Amino acid sequence: MSTQTNKKSPWLKRLLLGGLVLVLAGAGIYWYIATDTFSDTKDRKAAFTVDAVDFIREFQQNDSLANLKYREKIITVNGTVSDLESPDTATVNVKMIDTASGNFAIFAFQDQHVAEAKSLKIGDQVSIKGSCSGGSLDGILEVIKIDFKRSALNK
Amino acid sequence: MKKTILFLSFVALTGSLFAQKKTTTSATVNFDASTAIDALPKAENKTVTAAVDTKTGTVAFEATVKNFAFTNPRIQEHFNGKDWLNSDNFPKFTFKGKIADLSKVNFAKDDSYTVQVNGDLTVKDVTKPVSTEATIVVSGGTLSTTAAFSIKLADYGITGIPIDAGKVAKEPKITVSAELK
Repeated sequence: MSTQTNKKSPWLKRLLLGGLVLVLAGAGIYWYIATDTFSDTKDRKAAFTVDAVDFIREFQQNDSLANLKYREKIITVNGTVSDLESPDTATVNVKMIDTASGNFAIFAFQDQHVAEAKSLKIGDQVSIKGSCSGGSLDGILEVIKIDFKRSALNK
Repeated sequence: MKKTILFLSFVALTGSLFAQKKTTTSATVNFDASTAIDALPKAENKTVTAAVDTKTGTVAFEATVKNFAFTNPRIQEHFNGKDWLNSDNFPKFTFKGKIADLSKVNFAKDDSYTVQVNGDLTVKDVTKPVSTEATIVVSGGTLSTTAAFSIKLADYGITGIPIDAGKVAKEPKITVSAELK
């Protein structure tokens, strides 16, 4: 009667262990990417702090240059609330309008900041920090519109 | 004097209630390309411009591509990237259409109306026809509209491994809602 040894090659063991480490690392990276979310805009540092009318006029003078400067950056805009649009309970958009031209910036708020934005009134002096999506001539209204997303009141 | 002010106020009020062109800068467009294996590719744009001409039935929407907000930064980056929407070069989605059965809607009477809207959707400079059912709720001169339809990404030249792998829907659902005044 012969006895068989169940001893596995040390190389196979190392290969299996290496594979397991790679799978776990891959799963960890995937989990990190998949669960990553945008941070609270309130806690982010603004690249620029601007006056609303001056900011809007930069787009009016040269929207290509203004887009290069501000697009996809966090901007703090100080100005007057010209209009509030709240088409549903989960939404309130603040508009700052340059009355001389009708051009405007519009701010959509991050979910956690909608309630505080709802307390605003037309004429209020505010400081809003948001992610600038750029601006250009709106084909429907024929004025320059500058979009912001994930905004927060900058108190 | 009081009578004049009252009359002018009445004219202003009725003028705004029955104005021919209703507009908003706060229409919402939801883009949902999520699948059974990936719930991340969906976004919302809350600052879409829209207009409805109650006399001619023309409908128009214009959305800034970069203002679609995703929860996940990586997905938002891919959405705007060169292989996908290439929003640096093609910054807007536009829709121009018409209410096909405009006579069904009495804009002077508060009620809910279901209509057919036909038009052209332009994404990345590619224009394709879109037809969808839409609901218009008339209330005190304000129109609350909703519509939902799907688009084929391949029609607009949007292809790639995530779509083939089933991580991004081939035909995302687009939901539009607007309150026009």
